[in-house]
Amino acid sequence: MDYIVRIIPALLRGAGVTLALFALVLPLSLPLGFLVTLCTTCRFKPVKWLAEAYIFVLRGTPLMLQLFFFYYGLPFLPGIGPYLRLSSFAASALSFTLNYAAYFAEIFRGGLLSIDRGQYEVSHVLGLTPFQTMTRIIIPQMIRVTLPSVGNEAITLVKDTALVASIALPELLHYTQGLVTRDFTTTPFLVAAFIYLLITFVVTLLFKFAERKANYE
Amino acid sequence: MAMIEVKNLRKRFGDMEVLRDVSFAVEKGDVVAVIGSSGSGKSTLLRCLIGLEQVSGGSIRIDGSDLCRDGVYVSAAERKAIILRMGMVFQHFNLYPHLSVLKNLEIAPHLVKGRKGPELRAQAMELLKKVGLADRAGEMPGRLSGGQKQRVAIARALMMNPEILLFDEPTSALDPELTGEVLEVMRDLARERMTMIVVTHEMGFARDVASRVAFMDDGRILEEGAPEEIFTRPKEERTRAFLSRAKA
Repeated sequence: MDYIVRIIPALLRGAGVTLALFALVLPLSLPLGFLVTLCTTCRFKPVKWLAEAYIFVLRGTPLMLQLFFFYYGLPFLPGIGPYLRLSSFAASALSFTLNYAAYFAEIFRGGLLSIDRGQYEVSHVLGLTPFQTMTRIIIPQMIRVTLPSVGNEAITLVKDTALVASIALPELLHYTQGLVTRDFTTTPFLVAAFIYLLITFVVTLLFKFAERKANYE
Repeated sequence: MAMIEVKNLRKRFGDMEVLRDVSFAVEKGDVVAVIGSSGSGKSTLLRCLIGLEQVSGGSIRIDGSDLCRDGVYVSAAERKAIILRMGMVFQHFNLYPHLSVLKNLEIAPHLVKGRKGPELRAQAMELLKKVGLADRAGEMPGRLSGGQKQRVAIARALMMNPEILLFDEPTSALDPELTGEVLEVMRDLARERMTMIVVTHEMGFARDVASRVAFMDDGRILEEGAPEEIFTRPKEERTRAFLSRAKA
């Protein structure tokens, strides 16, 4: 017990980085994902193709590889490379945001497909502009449909942040590993698992609450 | 001057001709029932009038203003102004499921015309009373019956103070025992001399309420006239065949 109390401050410091990453990536990747969704429905084909290629590449390659690319790979790009030397936190935030945006884009696409064409038609007939139709009619309904899937992704994101230990960003798992090798005990793993569970528990609660708020029946 | 004037209207989907040379005029206060078998182009005709489908050719004039002339549309702004003079009621109601009944009524006049406050609320409540749903103002659409939903949809269309109302099979998605309450509201509107075009399979309504009946067949208006003319002395063989099938 004494030991656990002693290692908690270090682990919490790590958990702070985990949370910071989560709190940055989620609000950035959601709107970016929606933007990509809108691009996939664009009538101007090159934009549509670009968005589809984006989803294809980001979903089709390992997140860890993308992380390595943004951290180790970018500085080697000819010409602009030297200006793209990112800190491990920035590289993590960037690659996670881009990766999660691709997943969210697919979730939102499914959400948009679930909305009846009649909603657009009646909005047109009532004189709403396309922007008003999107923001006041379509998005609120899409949010309700997609919240469970978005919540699922959010929990995956909490756990995926552990990947950044691989580029030595000192988050929760990074500290845990350090303690395990230093002290020759697996107790830090258990404590880390507990902290992850605590975070995902809170995220789950938040999304449950959001789902209840968004439920309009 | 006719409220609605349609000349040589044509509409193609790919190489399928849905409307072939449709011409007709609707006077102010007319209630025109459009009947005909499914696939005859009734709904497409209605959707062309309110800009949900682009015509392939022909002209549409609403109260003297061109919506399109010989297949060429007026500017987007003019189009919108013309469309706002009409309301449409859909087969599947298309209520906004995330908004209460009251908000369903208020959102368009608020967003489109900038109306708000007690004046807007008063009109919404008045129209809900008119369709017999004043006590359901705070309800979400998901909790209403089909007939109630359709009455809300009619009230919502009326909120924009349209001069013309288009009904696209307003009772086709309803249980038979719920059609009466919707038809009753439409009958009231007809009595108030609202100009209406009603695509319908309700022959009773067409016969009793419509001032004119148009029979569509294969993308054309084959026959049109006063209800008693169409129903008792149809000139065309196909009209007769359709009517005898509709009665059965």
